[in-house]
Amino acid sequence: MSDSPKKEESKEDRRKFIVTSTIAASTACALFPLASGIPSVLDPATKETGNAEVPWTKVTNLATLPEDGTPTKFEVVLEKVKDAWTTYTNIPAGAVYLARNGEKVTAYNLKCPHLGCAIDYRKNSNDYFCPCHNSTFGLDGSVTTDNSPSPRGMDTMDTKVEDGVVWIRFQQFVPNIAEKVPV
Amino acid sequence: MIKGLMDWIDDRSGIRGLVKEALYEKVPGGARWRYVWGSCLTFVFFTQVVTGTLLWMFYAPSAQTAWESVYFLQYHVAGGWFLRGVHHYMAQAMIVLLVLHLMQVVIDGAYKAPRELNFWFGVLMMGVTLALSLTGYLLPWDQKGYWATAVATNLMAEVPLIGPALQKIVVGGSEYGHHTLTRFFALHAGVLPASLVALVVAHIYLFRKHGIHVKEPRPKRDSYFWPDQVLKDAIACLAVLLAVVALTIYFRGAPLGPPADPSNEFPARPEWYFLFLFQLLKYVPAFWGAVIIPAFLGLWMFLTPFIGKSKGGHQFNVGFWWVLIAGSAALTGMAISEDQANLKHGAAIEEANWQAERVIKIADSEGIPPAGAVTLLRKDPQNQGRRLFAAHCASCHRYNGHDGRGFPVDEPQSAADLAGFASVEWITELLDYDHYVSEKYFGGTKFKDGTMARKVLAKYTEEEKKLLPEIAKLLADGAELPYEEKLDEDTREELLSLYYNDDLKFEDGRACIECHDIDSEDEGSAPDLTGYGSREWLIAFIENPEDKRFYGKKNDRMPCYGRDGKLKDEEIAILVDWIRSQPADF
Repeated sequence: MSDSPKKEESKEDRRKFIVTSTIAASTACALFPLASGIPSVLDPATKETGNAEVPWTKVTNLATLPEDGTPTKFEVVLEKVKDAWTTYTNIPAGAVYLARNGEKVTAYNLKCPHLGCAIDYRKNSNDYFCPCHNSTFGLDGSVTTDNSPSPRGMDTMDTKVEDGVVWIRFQQFVPNIAEKVPV
Repeated sequence: MIKGLMDWIDDRSGIRGLVKEALYEKVPGGARWRYVWGSCLTFVFFTQVVTGTLLWMFYAPSAQTAWESVYFLQYHVAGGWFLRGVHHYMAQAMIVLLVLHLMQVVIDGAYKAPRELNFWFGVLMMGVTLALSLTGYLLPWDQKGYWATAVATNLMAEVPLIGPALQKIVVGGSEYGHHTLTRFFALHAGVLPASLVALVVAHIYLFRKHGIHVKEPRPKRDSYFWPDQVLKDAIACLAVLLAVVALTIYFRGAPLGPPADPSNEFPARPEWYFLFLFQLLKYVPAFWGAVIIPAFLGLWMFLTPFIGKSKGGHQFNVGFWWVLIAGSAALTGMAISEDQANLKHGAAIEEANWQAERVIKIADSEGIPPAGAVTLLRKDPQNQGRRLFAAHCASCHRYNGHDGRGFPVDEPQSAADLAGFASVEWITELLDYDHYVSEKYFGGTKFKDGTMARKVLAKYTEEEKKLLPEIAKLLADGAELPYEEKLDEDTREELLSLYYNDDLKFEDGRACIECHDIDSEDEGSAPDLTGYGSREWLIAFIENPEDKRFYGKKNDRMPCYGRDGKLKDEEIAILVDWIRSQPADF
């Protein structure tokens, strides 16, 4: 003797309900562990950067720079650097080339605007050269070849000379784009 | 199209058959709630692997970065507290579920032949899980984890022959440090979970091989794992999940104590599920706790399936496990109630909570130096001041009735309570005879029977007594306490005139100025009160109370901390800054 069609139907409904609830509950359990950490993992991408006021940092005395404008490399020691939980004081945070032009100084970031390799100053050809992908830059930091891998000239930053001391606002910029955008 | 893709995959992997085999396992007697524990444990372990891997992205195992990276995750990363909380409370849930699973297996007799091997695997997995808990407890490198794990690893040295070497291997040397953390982390995130995965696979394989052990009588017709039993399993997992989320939100994530500091004592206590062992070690030698009892339990678990085969053996096994659980629960209860009855323990916990709040506040505002967060606390007058007070002053003095940190003191009080020292309220009370000779002020010193008490304070008329709070205002003004306002010039002049007894409001022999100088070059017979309680005055006083400016030869037992080199200058300064920093709890 078989069940009546109505009973059959309610049995089918019950089974459907069980299957749906089972899938729902199992999916919730399966996704929960990963979901519980998603906000933390994505945290760095949600933090605003590049808008902070860049402090002035003392680099050297004007007298140490050659008057003919030959670039000289200097370490930039920042007074305060925060790396996640650690606060460092007076720590080298990068390097610049300083070139003097009378009482004015131009500062070029050591990092290539292409992909961030360290740029060399070539004494023989009196220009800048990136040894990674062969980008070349003139003494004024501009791109010198048509098919340069670097999309823009070397990154300059604000400088000032006060009482014979050279100050800069040390900054890093987003690599491999044509515009100069602070990181 | 999806079907085509599925066919393609199935053709090459046979996945449909696998899924079918997994889902359509027979459940004799129908789906039952008593079968959910294994699935729950698998779910919890899965959660721990996933959340643990995510936590890994934030954790830096070294003595100067472990606490710091956990602090950063907890307070400065979006949702960090939640991720950490889930991992922390899931670990607790895992222990509870393990006990439930084990008891269900024991009661149902599912450990008996042919399932002995799987029972032993289960017991082994329990050991690995406990090792995971133990290693994870240390990783935040806070006071609690540091001191408790020190006890656990010291126990390890009790193992015969290899113990001391084993301890060194686990700790990564003879002292706790970088290598303790790197090793514990490698164990916690690598070795132990990998072993557990292997054991889970073997456990589930053997479980499937022998099928569910059916508890008779069978309530219903046989059914399949899918969907009835899966639904029950999923609901149970969901319940565990909700409980863990509720705990995480209620406690705002896992606790983080002050950073580990070997020079800052903390009462070592393990996680709650190890408290029975902790309590046991109060009664038995360490060798018993570390070796004999665990070895006996291990052997007993090994024998359980064989005992179960004999007549009445199963009932014996069930009874044995109930007794074991009841005994552990009783020991745990004793451990908790002993701690609750112990005032010093409560004070130590409060002190640690205070330090944790304090160091987080400083780290939030100043950042953490490369030497680590523990240096923030060591340089903090609020923290160091109370610790110096407890170590050097509290055997005679008190601070709000305690030792400065909130601990009760065993020795009787024999000098003044210095909370709110030199404040208006403090001096007002001091000038009242009953207070002066009470334990809170000079009751424990020879000054109780001195001139000031007997010939001055005790003799004041009601009229004179009304003037004393004014005198207190004047003296407190000289202290320049950071939490009290300065008097204006006119009021100060007026009060000075009262002090000098210009209008003869005090009777002869009872005006302060007759013994105590203030703002003058003269030398009185009692301590000079110029700038009484000020930073300079208090530093000079603690350096040498026997100086003629203070007690001179009348000094009663107060050590000359500076003169005799008992405290360094900077320590005295920290102590003074702390005493003067806040009002008393009057």
